[in-house]
Amino acid sequence: MSWLFKSKQVNLAVLVFFFLAGFVPYFILVPQVDDAVNKLNLIAATVGQFTVAIAIYSQWRRSLRFIKERRKGWAYHIYLLALMSGMTFIGFTLGEKHDAYTWLVRAIVTPLSSVAYGILAFYMFSALARAFRARSLKAAFLVIAGCIVLLYQAPLTGAFIQIEPYAVFLTDNFGMSLSRMFSIAIITGGIILNIRMLTGRELAFLGFAKEES
Amino acid sequence: MPKPLLQIPGIPSGRILGLVLVIIIAVLAIRQMRKKALPFIRRVAAIDAIDEAVGRSTEMGRPVLVSYGIGSFDYSTIAALSILGYVSRMCADTDTKLIVPTGGGHTSYLTRELAVDIVRTQYTLAGKPEMFREEDMPFLSGEQYSYTAGYIGILVREHPGAVIMTGSHASEAMNIAETSNLVGAITITAGTYVSNMAALACASDYVMLMDEQPAAGAYLSKDREQLATIRVQDIYKALAMTLTALGLILLNILGSEFFLDLLST
Repeated sequence: MSWLFKSKQVNLAVLVFFFLAGFVPYFILVPQVDDAVNKLNLIAATVGQFTVAIAIYSQWRRSLRFIKERRKGWAYHIYLLALMSGMTFIGFTLGEKHDAYTWLVRAIVTPLSSVAYGILAFYMFSALARAFRARSLKAAFLVIAGCIVLLYQAPLTGAFIQIEPYAVFLTDNFGMSLSRMFSIAIITGGIILNIRMLTGRELAFLGFAKEES
Repeated sequence: MPKPLLQIPGIPSGRILGLVLVIIIAVLAIRQMRKKALPFIRRVAAIDAIDEAVGRSTEMGRPVLVSYGIGSFDYSTIAALSILGYVSRMCADTDTKLIVPTGGGHTSYLTRELAVDIVRTQYTLAGKPEMFREEDMPFLSGEQYSYTAGYIGILVREHPGAVIMTGSHASEAMNIAETSNLVGAITITAGTYVSNMAALACASDYVMLMDEQPAAGAYLSKDREQLATIRVQDIYKALAMTLTALGLILLNILGSEFFLDLLST
């Protein structure tokens, strides 16, 4: 039976079927196909949920190895496993609306995530410090445009109100046109990649290597 | 208010032109694939740098860190998985340790399984299945910033020689790229999140811009048929640029909304 799942042709046929299931209802109005596609998406989402168990298993295995081999930072893995087990247990037994689960999220998960997000500002600053060295004409333009937009966006706007029209011009014209250019190029690349996949030219994402093609 | 030039029953308004363009691209791509001659493709520094980055890691005895994004099964993740396959094969051939942090999103549970399968296949094909260690592909978290913290932890502990961060990364890309820079790794990034691109360009040694990432699989394969499709990307981009320029001229000089109406069809 395994030959069926390993067969390139079968994988490709499944891929084409799912592509048409997504492609046809977008461009052509067929209510019956819409219903079928919704059910298909629901099945895919349900199957996807089962992979959570595999992820938990993977994390347990890795953490246990860290603890067993006393690798650097192994003590944090005890904390991780305890918290993961606690959240899983409370989530399964009491539900995600229970006070205990809500407390875990509000007191531990959200503050830690917020701290990690807040650090982003420092990373931005250090990257900008390196990038904003006007070593060439292009870099000089970048520095000038960057400073104008930065002063407009930052709370200092009140002090530099005269900068606003320049910043808005840069954002609405250069920024917008570049953003559109990026979008067009990215979408074009995506469509061509899909064509390569559907014609069986690029199947690395299905686990097929060049030797097998 | 744009007025579509054409309405066809059964096709939602505003999607007719899209359907026609997709069909044209498909026909063009298939025609290009059939051509015998190898098309000229410009060099993409960020993709060329992958070989150099892995080689450097091998020489330094340091691991290579590759991630394929935190998104679901969109084209950027698929393109990133192609790059992952290529790098894992290189690592297997050169006995370089490969670390692939996974997670970051609620759909990562699913993409992770595919990534594990791709890397395992490459090690098996290289004749070194025993070198594949699933522990080196840890699932860090389904939460974006927990994943980021775990990723940064690995960077600081393992001191990789190269970090190849592809796929769809959001704001966490900056944290990762900067830390990677800090630990002295060659940093190659790619992104499809437009607002991220400028920040990534500042923080990375090489960055794949726009359609370079979806084209990476074809570029790395050196396969004539796959390379031919990249040519179509360029033709299509040229067409888009021409239409935009013509639209701007017609609208601003002649006051005609023809292109607006055409694009609303």
